[in-house]
Amino acid sequence: MRQSRGLYATLILLYAFLLGPFLVIFIAAFGADATLAFPPRGGFSLHWFANVFQTSQFIESFWISLGVALLATFIALLLGIPVAYALVNFRFPGQGVLETIFSSPILVPGLVVGFAMLRFFVLFSGVNVFTGLLIGHTAVLFPYSVRVVSASLRNLDPALEQAAISLGANRLRSFMLVVLPNVRAGVAAAFILAFITSFNNVPISLFLTGPGVTTLPISMLVYMEYYYDPTIAALSTLLILFTIVLVQGAERLLGLSQFV
Amino acid sequence: MRQLNQNRIITILVTPALLFLSLFFLLPLAAVLGGSFRGETGGVTLAGYLDFFQDRTSLIIYWRTLRLGVLVTVLATIMAYPPSYLLSRMPARRRALLMSLVILPLMTNPVARTYAWLIILGRFGVINRTLIALGLTEEPVRLLFTETAIVIGLLQLFLPLMVLPLVGALENIPDDVIEAARSLGAGELTAFFRVIVPLSADGLVMGGTLVFTGAITAFVTPAILGGSRVLVMSTLLRQRALVAIDWPSATVVAAIMLLTTLAVNLLLRLFRPKMV
Repeated sequence: MRQSRGLYATLILLYAFLLGPFLVIFIAAFGADATLAFPPRGGFSLHWFANVFQTSQFIESFWISLGVALLATFIALLLGIPVAYALVNFRFPGQGVLETIFSSPILVPGLVVGFAMLRFFVLFSGVNVFTGLLIGHTAVLFPYSVRVVSASLRNLDPALEQAAISLGANRLRSFMLVVLPNVRAGVAAAFILAFITSFNNVPISLFLTGPGVTTLPISMLVYMEYYYDPTIAALSTLLILFTIVLVQGAERLLGLSQFV
Repeated sequence: MRQLNQNRIITILVTPALLFLSLFFLLPLAAVLGGSFRGETGGVTLAGYLDFFQDRTSLIIYWRTLRLGVLVTVLATIMAYPPSYLLSRMPARRRALLMSLVILPLMTNPVARTYAWLIILGRFGVINRTLIALGLTEEPVRLLFTETAIVIGLLQLFLPLMVLPLVGALENIPDDVIEAARSLGAGELTAFFRVIVPLSADGLVMGGTLVFTGAITAFVTPAILGGSRVLVMSTLLRQRALVAIDWPSATVVAAIMLLTTLAVNLLLRLFRPKMV
């Protein structure tokens, strides 16, 4: 009994360390002081939340982040679902090499990927900033889409597809009408995981954003260089709440943590 | 005939993704590696690497990066192991709820997550105000823009990557095995170190790899908590590429980061215990 009380103490410490800082941000965000203070000295106010919505660089970069995240996630799934299907359903020579290549974007440091793409693709090809950004995000999201969709394809009973084919459906038809609807939870989990990853990404965006095309995390970093007021705390509060809702929802519906 | 058909299906399924990654990912990376061996006047040379490893400042930065990575990995293991064991013995429902809280730092906007430490560790942050109020110090202690600050920030970020594989490995150990060790006379500690730890080695190696490679390549945390005062490889790469706009030397830094990560991954793969 004594031992398990010690264990519980380590658990509480772990959660205090992981989540305590979020609490600090929440409280600091409601402070009325002109510079950041904790605990706030001059009473509480919603002023900094209003300021978030009045700062045009946050609003503009939010929409760009949202656009990039949705598009890159969609393309990554479009490329990744067929790959996951091939890797799970067939055995073929060179499969190991392909699997390594397909998972490599998460093994390579994101900052190196961003740098490499800027120097040896974007600057060479002269594509516009948004396209470069979109391609960079897609490459990094791709492995997540393959991994999560593969996991859910592996749990699917092959008899389902065989039944469809023996009843006369061709492979494409049986995939669209039988396989895909049955792995929709996996696809949804992949979508959420990839969306969050893109929406929060800094290393790729750091190199691939440009004048007029900035993502939200990058514009937050820039803002922090110039201002030391609680606006970032207010914005962070909103983003953390958004994440909690998304993650808890996804966990309840899909068991997200098993895919991370 | 059937085989031929199957090969065609595989080709159709795999080719678009393979083309995409080759063109936009593998080719640029190969160019970084190639570029790091190119001399100013062309030709193959190690000059870029020699310049890097003979320069005191960049050498300090390289070792600091690895040292902080080791420190974060060791601390994460110590902090994560006991709670992970407890989590692995919990009923599924409670565990699921707690695990979804563990992954929260990983899923949060990195600037938001790191910003909290600015408030806590700052000159007039929570810790300094407490120290001054307790009369332990008169002047604020410098906590921000130190290696300690970077380690604290990285720990919060990467602890989840240790907890997840550990809980996964630990929950596969049947209660009977631990009972058996005890009934055969093993004390708590003996049972822990000789039975539980070896059986969770897979999770430890997996978590260790994720935390270490994450820690030596993380950007936002050292950028905010270390600033330009305490550079690591990632913040050095940003500085050389985007501030100094020194492409050749930035390319070498990027290549060293890439090669180091690959080496660590290969090395730790050798240690991965065989499946029983």
